[in-house]
Amino acid sequence: MSEGLIARLRAPLRGRADLSEILSTGWTSLKAAELARRPVRAEEPLTVGELFDVSGEPGGRIRFEGDLALADRVGAGLSDGEVIVEGNVGAEAGMGMTGGSLEIRGDAGPRAGAAAPEARRGMTGGELIVRGSAGPEAGVLMRRGLVAIAGGAGSHAGAGMIAGTVLVFAGIGAAVGLWSKRGSIVALGPVTVPSTYRYACTYQPPHLRVTLMRLRTRYALPVEPRHLTGFYRRYSGDLADLGKGEILAWTAE
Amino acid sequence: MNIRGVFIEDTFAEAFTMRVARIIITARSERWAREAALKLTGFATSVIGCKCEAGIERELGTGDTPDGRPGQSVLLMTMGKDDMGKRLIERIGQTVLTCPTTACYDGLPGVPDRVGVGSALKFFGDGFQASKMIAGERFWRIPVMEGEFLVQEKFGMLKGVGGGNFLILARSADAALAAAEAAADVMASRTGVILPFPGGIVRSGSKVGSRRIKSMIASTNDAFCPTLRAVTTSALPEGVNSVLEIVLNGTDAEAISGAMRVGIDAACREGVVSITAGNYGGKLGPHHFHLRKIMSAEAPA
Repeated sequence: MSEGLIARLRAPLRGRADLSEILSTGWTSLKAAELARRPVRAEEPLTVGELFDVSGEPGGRIRFEGDLALADRVGAGLSDGEVIVEGNVGAEAGMGMTGGSLEIRGDAGPRAGAAAPEARRGMTGGELIVRGSAGPEAGVLMRRGLVAIAGGAGSHAGAGMIAGTVLVFAGIGAAVGLWSKRGSIVALGPVTVPSTYRYACTYQPPHLRVTLMRLRTRYALPVEPRHLTGFYRRYSGDLADLGKGEILAWTAE
Repeated sequence: MNIRGVFIEDTFAEAFTMRVARIIITARSERWAREAALKLTGFATSVIGCKCEAGIERELGTGDTPDGRPGQSVLLMTMGKDDMGKRLIERIGQTVLTCPTTACYDGLPGVPDRVGVGSALKFFGDGFQASKMIAGERFWRIPVMEGEFLVQEKFGMLKGVGGGNFLILARSADAALAAAEAAADVMASRTGVILPFPGGIVRSGSKVGSRRIKSMIASTNDAFCPTLRAVTTSALPEGVNSVLEIVLNGTDAEAISGAMRVGIDAACREGVVSITAGNYGGKLGPHHFHLRKIMSAEAPA
């Protein structure tokens, strides 16, 4: 398999840039020069080639190099292929993803994997992996897919979820899973469960082992034996809405 | 051809195309994975009376299963595509869903021909079931009194081979059994192969049809029954007093011939007179496993 394309940031970003149009339509077979012509929204309209030095051969993979903390909507609308970002990203990474994988090897800003402001639903597929921490509202309104955050997550993670999985290794902020209909929020670290969720039981969810094994083997995330063999407190909710969702909180008991 | 004094007949085993599914069962311990696998593969020796043929393919370590737990790989075979879904649903539903701590996965991922299993079993959840998409595959979480049963929505199905066989003709029942046990032992854990009969061994080999009852599909293979040597057209050489058969199914012809090679080699031991195979003149089954050709291959596969 080809190493794919590499997009190296030519110079540090001086203002916010919206990368939502780079990977939102078929890109996996594009040559470097073709991808370089795609637009980037910024204070002044740019092309990918003006921001990045794009090289390599198409192979369904692309790696972004450089500090993209000011770059928003990285991997937005992704439907296929493998995207790796070697560093931090701005807001709304993976917004509206439908497939493929987006791996952020740094921190993600607010609303990673969330719905676009005008959309009723967020991610409908794919895997969004954040090796660092994520800002508030990760996975808001997601309909399907996986958001896995190796660090912590800000407030309102998984709020309004329709389905899918948000999995957080460290602490999660307030109002997690508020107004969710279905879906799983997995808390491997500290979590405060909203009062509209109700405790069901403490058990070992079999599906979680499959997800954790995949995160360990495919992405080398820090899945520990205690995560695999341990027990989880299951809370059903949000009972103020459909109530078919769950928060699975790892417990040492 | 002789192997350690055992004559290898110049004949072939005739086998059929069947459908095969691979079922991965995991559980909290090896004990419960095996319990489920044994129940799943129970009463599945022959499609003639059991509607399917099944056996444990091999034991799986924690590194070989989707959830990192101990597991068992089972092959289940049917004659037709339509049968496969029915057999999987009834057997997984009755034997794996019911077994403590188990989960059940498709062992043929990526195979295009797929049959719904979890999509039917989910209804046991009575509306409380939930699905989970993981890496593009849908799984069903069915709430049960113990906790949750996880089963994959669809299982892959391939064309496989059923009815590979060889017969061990021995001087005594003890010698036949010892040789058959030795053969079954070396064949049992080979990937892609199952031995669906008890312990992998058949004492009641059959012929097609019946001399007396037209509606019978199969009846005793009188030509190989030692007690009938004097009253039927016997195929038994002098000195043979007991015959046992090894029947094997597999995912492909290569798996069958490889297993037959090591099995026949193991069966060639003291007290065995000859090894032969069952066929129907080559007119019924498309797969022909010629014993001498298999045994003249340079090294066991």
